[in-house]
Amino acid sequence: MENHLVEVPQTQAGCRVSIVLFFFYLCVPFAEIIAPYPVAKRNVDFLFAPPQAIHLFHEGKLVGPFVYGLNPSVDLENLKWIYETDTTKVQKLRFFCEGEPYKFWGLFPAKFHVVCPAKDGTLFIAGTDRLGRDQYSGLVYGARLSLTIGLVGVSISMVLGVLLGGLAGFFGGWIDSSIQRVIEIMRSLPELPLWMALSAALPITWSPVWIYFGLTVILGLLDWPGLARAVRSKLLSLREEEYAKAAALMGASPSRIIVKHLLPGFTSHLVASATLSVPAMILGETALSFLNLGLRRPAVSWGVLLNEAQNISVVTIYPWLMAPVIPIIIVVLAFNFMGDGLRDAADPYK
Amino acid sequence: MLNYILRRLLVMIPTLAAISFLIFFIIELPEGDYISNQISMLRSTGESASIGRLEFLRKEFALDRPFVERYGIWVGLWPGPNGFDGLIQGNWGWSFEYDQPVGEVVGPTLPLTIALNLATILFIYCVAFPIGIYSATHQYSVGDYSFTLIGYLGLATPNFLLALVLMYLANSWFGLTVGGIMEERYIGEPMSGGKALSIVAHLVVPVIVIGTSGTAAMIRRLRANLLDELFKQYVTTARSKGMRESKLLVKYPLRVALNPFIADIGNLIPSLVSGSVIVSVVLNLPTVGPVLLGALQSQDQFLAGFILLFVSILTLIGMLVSDVLLGYLDPRIRLGKEGVRQ
Amino acid sequence: MITRRFLNAALVLAALAFPSTSFALVLKETPGIPPGLPPVVDRIPKEPLVTYPEDMGRVIGVQGGSLHTLISRPKDVRLINVWGYARLVGYNENLELNPDILESVDNHYDKVFTLHLREGHKWSDGSSFTAEDFRFWFEDVALNDELNPIGLPGFMLVDGEGPEFTVIDETAVRFEWHEPNPLFLQELAKARPPFIYRPAAYMKQFHEKYGNPEFIRQIARIEKVRGWAPLFNRMDDMYGASNPHIPTLQPWVPRTASGERRAVMERNPFFHRVDNAGQQLPYINRIIMDVVDGKLIPAKTLAGESDLQARGLGFSDISVLKRGEQTQDYDTRLWLNSKGSEISILPNLSVKDPVWRKLMQDRRFRHALSLGIDRELINKVLYFGLGRAGNDTVLNISPLFQPDFQTAWAEFNPDLANQLLDDIGLTDRRGDGVRLLEDGRPLQLIIEITGESSEQDDALELVAETWQEIGVSAFIRPSQRDTIRARALSGALMMSVWSGFENGVPTADMPPVDYAPTREDFLSWAPWGNYYESDGHAGVRPDWPPAIRLIELFDQWLVSSSFEERDMIWEQILQIHADETIHIGLVNGVRHPVVVKGLLNVPEMGIYGWDPGAQFGIHRMDLFFFKDLLPDEDS
Repeated sequence: MENHLVEVPQTQAGCRVSIVLFFFYLCVPFAEIIAPYPVAKRNVDFLFAPPQAIHLFHEGKLVGPFVYGLNPSVDLENLKWIYETDTTKVQKLRFFCEGEPYKFWGLFPAKFHVVCPAKDGTLFIAGTDRLGRDQYSGLVYGARLSLTIGLVGVSISMVLGVLLGGLAGFFGGWIDSSIQRVIEIMRSLPELPLWMALSAALPITWSPVWIYFGLTVILGLLDWPGLARAVRSKLLSLREEEYAKAAALMGASPSRIIVKHLLPGFTSHLVASATLSVPAMILGETALSFLNLGLRRPAVSWGVLLNEAQNISVVTIYPWLMAPVIPIIIVVLAFNFMGDGLRDAADPYK
Repeated sequence: MLNYILRRLLVMIPTLAAISFLIFFIIELPEGDYISNQISMLRSTGESASIGRLEFLRKEFALDRPFVERYGIWVGLWPGPNGFDGLIQGNWGWSFEYDQPVGEVVGPTLPLTIALNLATILFIYCVAFPIGIYSATHQYSVGDYSFTLIGYLGLATPNFLLALVLMYLANSWFGLTVGGIMEERYIGEPMSGGKALSIVAHLVVPVIVIGTSGTAAMIRRLRANLLDELFKQYVTTARSKGMRESKLLVKYPLRVALNPFIADIGNLIPSLVSGSVIVSVVLNLPTVGPVLLGALQSQDQFLAGFILLFVSILTLIGMLVSDVLLGYLDPRIRLGKEGVRQ
Repeated sequence: MITRRFLNAALVLAALAFPSTSFALVLKETPGIPPGLPPVVDRIPKEPLVTYPEDMGRVIGVQGGSLHTLISRPKDVRLINVWGYARLVGYNENLELNPDILESVDNHYDKVFTLHLREGHKWSDGSSFTAEDFRFWFEDVALNDELNPIGLPGFMLVDGEGPEFTVIDETAVRFEWHEPNPLFLQELAKARPPFIYRPAAYMKQFHEKYGNPEFIRQIARIEKVRGWAPLFNRMDDMYGASNPHIPTLQPWVPRTASGERRAVMERNPFFHRVDNAGQQLPYINRIIMDVVDGKLIPAKTLAGESDLQARGLGFSDISVLKRGEQTQDYDTRLWLNSKGSEISILPNLSVKDPVWRKLMQDRRFRHALSLGIDRELINKVLYFGLGRAGNDTVLNISPLFQPDFQTAWAEFNPDLANQLLDDIGLTDRRGDGVRLLEDGRPLQLIIEITGESSEQDDALELVAETWQEIGVSAFIRPSQRDTIRARALSGALMMSVWSGFENGVPTADMPPVDYAPTREDFLSWAPWGNYYESDGHAGVRPDWPPAIRLIELFDQWLVSSSFEERDMIWEQILQIHADETIHIGLVNGVRHPVVVKGLLNVPEMGIYGWDPGAQFGIHRMDLFFFKDLLPDEDS
């Protein structure tokens, strides 16, 4: 079976979504620069501020992108913050500007942002939360954890899956049957309840970084048996192919045969199924955060941000707390389409 | 065949032993135990008068023993404070949180759990079949893309959030109670037409929410399988012989769709219990989900352990059933030689 | 002096005991009472507790109706016995102690307590409530090794010795100690009281000494317990409301047929309180508690699915609840949280590390930390400015309140704070402005927090930010309650966050337990508390003069002989707390939402607390009733 990318319309769609994903992944290294505010920055004068619309024209004249200022007041009768849009205050956005100071990657102090609010102005593209933290900046920073948690998890699962599945498929015999047993045990453990149990077991005293790694390991550990099974059965069939037999006859070592001859035979297939497990992990992280079993502040992920939306009645007053759901949907969709595209390319139904 | 089943059952015993040990290990991973948590909670609310009673429980349930011994006692391989009395002997353990035997806590939640998940599975099939068939036959058409998009949207929206939003809307538009399984006034009343209706109305939201996340995977699998078949020689032959396209479709898709369905039974049986965990927590449905979450959070270890083990056993049985069925229906797969099948 | 105290106590109890029914009180039969029960006159004690709702600013109610409320876990069913708040002696709304189940108490020097029961008082199953029920508890339950391996509860012990117990007659028992036990009555009035009596007739069936062994074996098998002692302890649940068969004296009795997710409590037809119109209390027939996930309680309350709800609601829900008032026809009352402070930062004064210990015990350090907090900002951000920024101390409705306790060292003054820190000698700073300790380590406080309340997290974030201005770095570490406690006890804990003093509304008669190092679970000085609690056998001897002084004062309170003396002791204790800033309180007087739907006699404004308070308990939940039961013409 030849397995190079075949030009079909589906892969074009795959390409297009991978461009979308690329832009999302830009947030991972450059979150500090893309976000207008540092993630922990609290604007205590703007608690639960609504999103500010970006305008171009003020009183019929083009001024370029700007927002109108917000006037906060408190409604003590109903205990609610009220914001009036003040159309006399035109706050022009600044681009490639110096704004709130931050530490790039937590190391280098800097002030440069792609976009900043006007001096003495505000820029809450997606509103603020109960401590006046900018939601949009939160989303940008949150991408860092949310987008990588799936990748790291899948890498762990791929390494384990290829290694164990490869061993089982290539050697057979007792190695195969014992790995089969382990796979069977892993597969008979219920996935979601097990996620919950394992996450509940992560010590609460761990720092967010450790919790993050703990979660990726959990996600990866529970995901590998499926991949291992696929690898094993693929290997079993590939082993019978002429070129593998020929290599064995020519005295190539088993590891060489696996790596040089057999693996390329289904890499694209592997990549496709790995791509399809990423969105499940992203969603898994949000679900765990929602159940208070996942990441916690000060770590910021989309799941942590969505946690604010769990009190549905609060959401009816402050609907912008739901904003994190938008990037989640886009990214999960994109990964699914990309995975489908990759798979169609790997096994074209033609 | 019988021989095969027997052999598989025998193999299950060591598997079960390993699973139960793993589960017990995971459950006991968090620091402390239910009793110590409870004591510190009582302290902080000033209810310290109950502490003596809890210490009593700690002895009674051997929580002061080393780990391996506790595991042995739980399973029934080691004498506890009252001799051999564990899972093997039919004692499923004690729930501290509910102050009841585990069986009595889990038992009442099962009918609803199974009903909810069955309804969900039906929903998935009803939605996924037509869409899967359509998008396979109209590959890369607008319809293919839009149906797939809709199917995937359900997958991409976090379940719990969708549940919350739909629950809120169901309350403000249709006046359904927020969460729960029936109208307030039917709780504790004998079954009646109104009560049944109320339950059905309250099941709509969870079924849609859980269902949408499963549909996408199902559509994808059906579509792939169908596409596989549709380009095979026999179809081309049939088509070239002038068989009508619609007849062609009715004849083959059904047959083809059968296989993934059967392969799925293995997954279906455990998901009958665990599929609805998160949504049930959000919607406050009295299924096994909230019980499990509560047990995990409060370290009600025997309860959590039992539920996890129960679902695992269901999975094992499911795998066995699907293997047997597949072997029965598809002679290409020879029983006992699982390794060869792809 | 001692005689005066005795007189005083006896007088208070006698004067506050409700007038007897010797005048003609025409009793009315409760409508809808199950058939087969004796008439009301035979159900209530000869001298029932007569309540005059009008004297309390309430109205005479109508019997009937079912009250729905929401709880977040099955265990919370126990709250029925908290809210019902029928105690041997109990607090009223003004936090005065009165006999309730008891007809009267004779208190002799705080050493000899004679409890007089009401003649003809009956348990909820109709059996008599007598001195035997006390004797059974004392001799056959509390002192039984198998049932109670640890013996008598702490409050029954004075210098490690239990009381001498005497049955005087059918309706009177006496507890007698050699030394005063002023905590005894206070303890009986708690939200979770130590039940020092048991329904002997019922419980004896399960007791080895009295019961039929064959019967015990059978029931034990059904209940899946092993042996008589676990069976007895399981059935003996006076508080948890998990055994519907055990007779009770509370206003509502759990019904047998309650399900997993719902508990139903029916009125106790033998309850000992009546109103002055001759109606037996409680007014409400039935309490229905539904178990729902905690996160859903605000949403369900908003949808009008609860008639009376405080639990599971928080300050942040008020705005949503207020908005729903028009459509759902309920009322959101804002009761006063009776804690000393909503959030309190507790420096560990007995931390093991010598450098830190020296610093923590230096009052200038604690003052600087306190001055470095912008409480008004926290109040505004978290509570719309509705709380009161101030120390963790008694609230202004307590008779012991003085404005200075609230405000001492509590303003935001970073300059003064910096000055104080410089005075201590913490002048060296790290590159990022964090001060250095004398041994060169950075001044980084590790604050441990339970992480159960997002308000605490938020407040600490704000605190940490302003502390940066004074060169103090704070690292917040989430942990678990018992881990924090264990670390406090071992001296490893540096600082923690908890809610403030549980009792923010004490009177001088209440013991100042929380305010001195008397218990090992106080995180500011756990080892010292342990030392006190164990009489010096465990823990660490306090080495900090104010703590020693506080213990002296507490001990003085225990043997004090007059109200004035106790008042003075309290004042000194509170003054020490204000001067030393032992707890760094942030905001107090925060409101707790109480949603009331269609109920009358629920106070507009009340205190909401656990001890004292029992949540709805001291507000007499047995007087709450449904407005729509009132006859139409009286509108």
